[in-house]
Amino acid sequence: MSLNSVLKSTTIADKILLALLILVSLSGIVFVKELLPEAKRVMIEVNGHPVYILPKDKDRTVSVEGPEGVTVIEIKDQRVRVTESPCHNKLCIRQGWIESGAIVCIPNRVVVTISNHEDESNKIVDAITG
Amino acid sequence: MQLQDKYRIALLSAYALALHGFESLFPTPVPWLRLGLANIITLTALVLYGIRVAITVTLIRVILSSLFTGTFLGPAFILSLGGGVTSTLAMGIVLSITPRLFSIIGLSLIGALFHNIAQLILAYLLFIQRIEAILLISPIIIFLGSVTGTVNGIVSDLLIKNLKKGDKKIQNVNK
Repeated sequence: MSLNSVLKSTTIADKILLALLILVSLSGIVFVKELLPEAKRVMIEVNGHPVYILPKDKDRTVSVEGPEGVTVIEIKDQRVRVTESPCHNKLCIRQGWIESGAIVCIPNRVVVTISNHEDESNKIVDAITG
Repeated sequence: MQLQDKYRIALLSAYALALHGFESLFPTPVPWLRLGLANIITLTALVLYGIRVAITVTLIRVILSSLFTGTFLGPAFILSLGGGVTSTLAMGIVLSITPRLFSIIGLSLIGALFHNIAQLILAYLLFIQRIEAILLISPIIIFLGSVTGTVNGIVSDLLIKNLKKGDKKIQNVNK
């Protein structure tokens, strides 16, 4: 009983079905992302509490008050950066524009994250299908 | 139901449960990816002994495994039940309508596809009312399901051929 005998017993319908499934799912993986509007949001937290949740595709500049002073955050062209910060080393400003991920300013306790709501609901799927 | 059928159902359910337990211990690259090894047993039961045995084995496997892991009547149980029953029914219907069109591998693919479709629909209706999330994850799940479905189909095919050979041997001995 070898793999050959298994392959011989496959029908044309099998091959068409497999090819169709692979084709449809692969093109699905590529195209669904393009079709869906990007639901990404920029969340700005100070001291662990969310202060702003802003859409990523709207250009805007906001300033938040942290323990050290005022941090200014700019959203432009789907990107985010910190333009002003009262901290010493200015790491958050030097990080520049980000398209995803996070900027963290520890001295002023400001965390800017670009989050995706889809990610959260995916986690729910993970937990229940387990 | 004959006594022989009961023995078969008990044996097949035990195998299905063991595989189901084994695959939950088996590490996979993505947490929700399951290999669907229990489908090997469902498919074997379906091809060798018919849809009634296959459905019974599936129900026993789903209910007992959820009792063992403590998820009975929970969300994972509902998804598991919906997926299992739908895929068994789909394979059974295809096999009874066109017995020669698909081989075991084709049937396994159909089973995997309907298992995933049923789970996605159930997850959408009951747990995540976000169509974007489902649409985003569907092609990935169906792709992975096709890969594991093919592998399971090959294993089932080998198993069924070997079991048929064994049956013939036993019959010859009895003569």
